[in-house]
Amino acid sequence: MENSTISIQDFHKYINAFLTISNDLLDEWKLNTIDQNIENNKFLTKKQVVLLRNPADPDLQIIATFEYHLVYNISYAVPVLCFNIWRQDGSRITLEEYWNYNKNLHDYNMHDTLTQMDHPVLNKPIFTLHPCKTYEILKEFLKTSKNPVISWLSVVSQFVHLDLLEEYLKSC
Amino acid sequence: MSIPLSYVPLNSSVNPSFWSKLSELKIDVYKSNEIDVVIWGYSRLIENANLPTSLLEVDSTSFNKEFSDQETYIPFYGKFINTNTIEKFKSCDKQLLINNEGMKFVERFKNGDVLKNPSLLNWFILLTFADIKKYHYYYWFAFPVPQSVTIEKVSSCNISEEFSDEMMIDFYNEFKKLNSIQTSYFVTLKINNLVYLSSLYETFSDESVLKDREPYFTFLNLSPSSNVGSQLRTFVAFILHHRPILEGTKAKFLALNLSRDKTNISLKKSTIYTLKLPEVSSIDMSTTWVGWEKNERDNMGPRLANMKNTLDPAVMAEISNDLNLKLMKWNLLPNIDLQKIKATKCLLLGAGTLGCSVARTLLGWGIRNITFVDNAVVSSSNPVRQSLFTFQDALKSKPKAQAAADSLKLICPGVNSNGYQFTIPMPGHPVGESLLMQTMEEIDKLTELIQNNDIIFLLLDSREGRWLPTLIAASKQKMVINAALGFDSYLVMRHGVYEPKIQEPKAMTCPAGFKSVDGRKLGCYFCTDIVAPGNSMKDRPLDQQCTVTRPGVSQIAGALAAELSLSLLMHEEQIAAPAFYVSKQNVNDLEIDKLNPSILGLVPHSIRGFISSYEQFSPATEKFTNCVACSDFVVRQYRDFGKKFLFEVFNNSKHLEEVAKVPKFDDLSESDIYETGVDEEFSDWAIQ
Repeated sequence: MENSTISIQDFHKYINAFLTISNDLLDEWKLNTIDQNIENNKFLTKKQVVLLRNPADPDLQIIATFEYHLVYNISYAVPVLCFNIWRQDGSRITLEEYWNYNKNLHDYNMHDTLTQMDHPVLNKPIFTLHPCKTYEILKEFLKTSKNPVISWLSVVSQFVHLDLLEEYLKSC
Repeated sequence: MSIPLSYVPLNSSVNPSFWSKLSELKIDVYKSNEIDVVIWGYSRLIENANLPTSLLEVDSTSFNKEFSDQETYIPFYGKFINTNTIEKFKSCDKQLLINNEGMKFVERFKNGDVLKNPSLLNWFILLTFADIKKYHYYYWFAFPVPQSVTIEKVSSCNISEEFSDEMMIDFYNEFKKLNSIQTSYFVTLKINNLVYLSSLYETFSDESVLKDREPYFTFLNLSPSSNVGSQLRTFVAFILHHRPILEGTKAKFLALNLSRDKTNISLKKSTIYTLKLPEVSSIDMSTTWVGWEKNERDNMGPRLANMKNTLDPAVMAEISNDLNLKLMKWNLLPNIDLQKIKATKCLLLGAGTLGCSVARTLLGWGIRNITFVDNAVVSSSNPVRQSLFTFQDALKSKPKAQAAADSLKLICPGVNSNGYQFTIPMPGHPVGESLLMQTMEEIDKLTELIQNNDIIFLLLDSREGRWLPTLIAASKQKMVINAALGFDSYLVMRHGVYEPKIQEPKAMTCPAGFKSVDGRKLGCYFCTDIVAPGNSMKDRPLDQQCTVTRPGVSQIAGALAAELSLSLLMHEEQIAAPAFYVSKQNVNDLEIDKLNPSILGLVPHSIRGFISSYEQFSPATEKFTNCVACSDFVVRQYRDFGKKFLFEVFNNSKHLEEVAKVPKFDDLSESDIYETGVDEEFSDWAIQ
């Protein structure tokens, strides 16, 4: 099999580089570190508030807070993008509700692409862009990019309302 | 010409971690005390161009002693009041509360606190009531401003009209050097085309700073750039307190809006306002404060955060379980009726290896109503084979039915599981005088349970124990799934539906190599026997008492029993679903679609497997006209004579053979025996 995975050491290296750029840009990505005895103990998070509009009914809109997690998945040996979404009162927006607000995914098989999985580090359910598709995207970048994690993120982020500044891509 | 300035209030946004931290504090620290403490909120430095208003956010760090600083956050000083009852929350005088807190705020800027820490000008009140059992949080934010401070706008212009591009870059560089408590309110001075940012302390403690200069009173605008955040009113009150001389005069204000311009942070969206300040001689004790936030219906009223789906671990687990089933629906089985599964009630007669295994598989399918019946208690040999029990259950000799029901709740808190400990009366097990009343009650209880459930699983450890439930369930036309074990073999089957007069079913066309039996003609567990069930435990050595099986057999059979019930439940014709079986060897291409399957595939009548050779086949057998459990003779006798008939059978099982008009063995030709499907292998089956 063609190698289209990333080692955990490389993942940590790439997210550190990512974090440095974010800090310069005041882009609010934060490094979270848990138990030092676990190898997969680092991930990045960022909160972002988005006004979600229902494509079917533009009057239906909600202010939603996304908390994105950029985490390493050991079984797939690839980075994964996960997130939680909540309303202004703190209550969770369900996956089905979010699908109604996300027309980017309508052309894809949504249930395969965006699903709920357990967070690879926190072991709690969280919406996840399924890692089985990550190989496909990552494969090309592994040859060409200086930071394949950023390159991959720049492709997938747009599907789930995550704004990624152009500045990040300059480092790839 | 000047016009009254209008303001945009902040909008509150609560992070779920705020509510979970509040619950934690309520349990561990606050207990039943009413709480009145300082918390922290924050707003964002950089404007979010997508949002109509700026947000004030609170999260778990809000309860920290010090504001947990982040470069891009603006601190907000919060007064947090958590009432202990909903009545207190409702009856609390909101106007009095905001006025009182307003007075305390005035104290803070009179005693110099605000001068040293201008971020205190950003403040809020949060009134809550936390119903932590229900995960309901009632809350109401206020962003208080003094009502008497009214401001008129004389003119406004974009910052670029008075600050060149270079000056704006200088400005931002100076701004970045400010401590986070200084970033929200300060004074900007232009001195020889250089930008100078002066803190409030510096500005107001030294008369000379503003002398002969035109200052820009600068505030971080907590509103999108086209509007002004209401915090300006407290800022103006503060300025007038320190410089009463400015009352009624005009002054310049700079509403700072930081936005992202490609990768840079820019001030270009900022606005310079020339404002006419009010003629109030400083705000005082008598000032009325306003600023309670409107709720989502745009009314003056509290909000309710229902966090059950977000914070209740049991509900979260249920949502995750449901999601697995929904994924099945979305991806593979669009027509599966998950609601129907959830509403289906299952009665498991027997809570042994089979009962445990069936129950666990049903849980996975989303079945949430499970009732066990078993007469035994957990013994020390049970837990290794019976997956719902532990050694502790054995030590306590817990009744198996209850232990299994409790265990299901530990696995899945959302399940409605119950257990009943009693013996199912059996043919050939005479009922003595002393047990008469008890047996009557047991019959009634069993009848009631069968009546109230949708699927009846027969998972008992003896053949005769299955007789009474088979008969009652037949009479009530319930779905029955039966599983029995041999040492290394298993039988899983469904019972045909009882109908007093079987309509000749419409002919089914079968693909070559298959035969089908209509569900109304399918037999029951006893149809393949021609003797009435007697006391199978009598006079047998331990290893032949049907209790020794290879450990995996019950797991396989239990799983198959649960799967068979689901296939049947999802079939259009329910228990009347026809069963197909292979009538010729070597049928190669199994075209399931032509065999009237359920959405889950074929629904066989029975599945017989042999672990010694790892083989399995699915024969279908027709009803036996003289069946001792489901034939018309027996069901009618039961319907007509009820318990009287049952007791006759308990006392003498041979009575059954008479009622069922079972032909004498001598009367049967060899071919009859073959036709009724008696199978040496199964007629004397070890069962568990």
